[in-house]
Amino acid sequence: MRETIRLHMNEMPYPPSLGVVEAARQGLARLNRYADPAELEALRGLLASYCGVPRDCVILSPGSDLLLREVIHTFSQGRRVITPSPSFFPTVQAAKQFAAEWLSVRLSPPAFDLNTRLLTEALEGPSLVILDNPNNPTGRLLLDPPAVEALLQQENVLLVIDEAYYEFSGVTFADRVAEHPQLAVIRTLDKAFSLAGARVGYGIVGETFQDVLLSFQAFLPRPSLCAAIEALERSKDMRENVRRVIGERERLRRALEELGAHVYPSSTNFLLVRSEVPDLVKRLRDKGVLVSEVSTQLPAGFFRVSIGTPGENDAFVDAFAEHQRSRLE
Amino acid sequence: MGKSLGLIVNPVAGMGGSVGLKGTDGEMHQKALALGAEPITPKRTRDLLTHIQRLEELSLLVAPGEMGEQHVEGLLPFKVVGEIGQETSAKDTERIACEMVDRGIELLIFVGGDGTARDVCDAIATTVPVVAVPAGVKVFSAAFAVSARAAAEMVDAFLEGSALTEEEVLDIDEEAFREDRLASRLYGYLLVPEVRLFLQPGKSASSVGKTAMQSKQEIATCVVEGMDPETLYLLGPGTTLKAIADELGVDKTLLGVDAVHARALVGKDVNEKGILDLLEGYGKSKIMVTPIGGNGFILGRGSKQFTPEVIRQVDASNIVVVGTRDKVSQLECLRVDTGDLELDERFRGYVRVTVGYGEAMLMEVRC
Repeated sequence: MRETIRLHMNEMPYPPSLGVVEAARQGLARLNRYADPAELEALRGLLASYCGVPRDCVILSPGSDLLLREVIHTFSQGRRVITPSPSFFPTVQAAKQFAAEWLSVRLSPPAFDLNTRLLTEALEGPSLVILDNPNNPTGRLLLDPPAVEALLQQENVLLVIDEAYYEFSGVTFADRVAEHPQLAVIRTLDKAFSLAGARVGYGIVGETFQDVLLSFQAFLPRPSLCAAIEALERSKDMRENVRRVIGERERLRRALEELGAHVYPSSTNFLLVRSEVPDLVKRLRDKGVLVSEVSTQLPAGFFRVSIGTPGENDAFVDAFAEHQRSRLE
Repeated sequence: MGKSLGLIVNPVAGMGGSVGLKGTDGEMHQKALALGAEPITPKRTRDLLTHIQRLEELSLLVAPGEMGEQHVEGLLPFKVVGEIGQETSAKDTERIACEMVDRGIELLIFVGGDGTARDVCDAIATTVPVVAVPAGVKVFSAAFAVSARAAAEMVDAFLEGSALTEEEVLDIDEEAFREDRLASRLYGYLLVPEVRLFLQPGKSASSVGKTAMQSKQEIATCVVEGMDPETLYLLGPGTTLKAIADELGVDKTLLGVDAVHARALVGKDVNEKGILDLLEGYGKSKIMVTPIGGNGFILGRGSKQFTPEVIRQVDASNIVVVGTRDKVSQLECLRVDTGDLELDERFRGYVRVTVGYGEAMLMEVRC
């Protein structure tokens, strides 16, 4: 049976190191027990050290999407929720479900810029602003330091920055949390650390968030906890994998552009692509290549492809080329 | 006995593309033939039929010869409806569509372009739902599926009892299109099965997924709750505006402009003069519009009654834009083309679009 090529979930194509797998296995052997509080504290300490922030700021979560959901659920009461459009889909879902008032700021092609001046002007009354930086699915960085400072100067604004792809972009505002109690940065080990199957998310949150979210301090599954600790202690592996993915991303971008596709600049481990081939996502799926449909948030013709191994990327390019050529003939 | 479906194929649709013509309206069909154009609708029709999963549930009525019969032979049983001559025309499409509706079809599938959609719109309007398979040179109307394969999914969705939604049919000026200008206006609506993407691969089901009808109802409730009884509201064309009128309990002209004051209809299908007269009689006023699907025009296409003079009197700051999240998410931006460049410039920037109950989107307006 042909193996499916998974380029639709923004996963790291390289598995965790044997040491990390062994740590998870040891966690499995003690599945009858909840995670040890001391181990949870150890993970918080390692994350605090990795991020360069005090341990008290760090909050753990079984997946960053659940933490984002909890933040929106808890802090949208009495506040207008503001998100970009498009945005990380679970954020969109949670805003729809919990926000009494929800304002989206549209990112328009081709630049997909966030008009931060407009966003700042739109901040009337208590607001919860949630921005994915880089943005998913456009891959674009939306924020720079002046924009973040301007947002943080506003009264009664809570700012949440989703940095799920921080290791690929190299841009973070985690260091601003200590000075700004109304700032939270949400991250994950799912992507760069090759731990999507473990689901370890975390937040670096200011004081305003800390007290309320304390009750959310989750018990992580024991194998996930053990794997996360080991992965953080071997962050050199992660950095090497990120370097390989970024290299492949640029190779893939050039290959797609040579085939006549429009590819948008990315600071992540995925590319947003526009093609005139109708039903391309389904056609690629028929060829055993999974890419992500984004037509719930963007006009027809856009799709998102994660960066795979060189072999996976080549297989995707071959399948794409077949349809793209038939379109151009 | 399965559901009764009709199939009509415009045999000349799309033939202009391969020979560099933009459309086959009027005389252009003969020109396309002279240039050696090959028909493309047979392949589109076969693509459609071979991708319908529930083909065995269909009881199919087809137009004769190249308008349907030829493409279905050998694929599934069918009955032929109507007659055609040597050369086919828009009149054949209209006549056979009406005949199929009279014979009780529950869904009409047609293969063609924007011109064919207008013919179908003239013939049956929204009396029965349609699945529109794109075969035109460039298809702009939102009523069309994105491809033959997507159209097959719509047929299956219909057979599974999907919701229905009204989508726009545009009148494209082919002469202008040949000169690389896109001059389109709202022509009418067709009723189409709604196929929504409920699932992001691997993620949980979307709570954003609502039927278009539900979304329009949400918008209507929100807008009506916020209406000022002292203000005159000019409701532009479109089904979202119709939902607002329904919420108010007034009868809306789908393609025209109606005026409402204190929840009562004070002007029906008014033209520019009628609007200007109303504006004299009332103090505060607002214009409510929805973007045209596909191209995003909020003023200047489909609502010519909102002339520059009308817009200036109401004031650009009193334009209220509404549209479902699904619809506006399909747009790159909003556009205005009032015919008055200076006025258009006043809209450049961002406007707030009401997209649901308590939900708004700030969208860029380009001129």
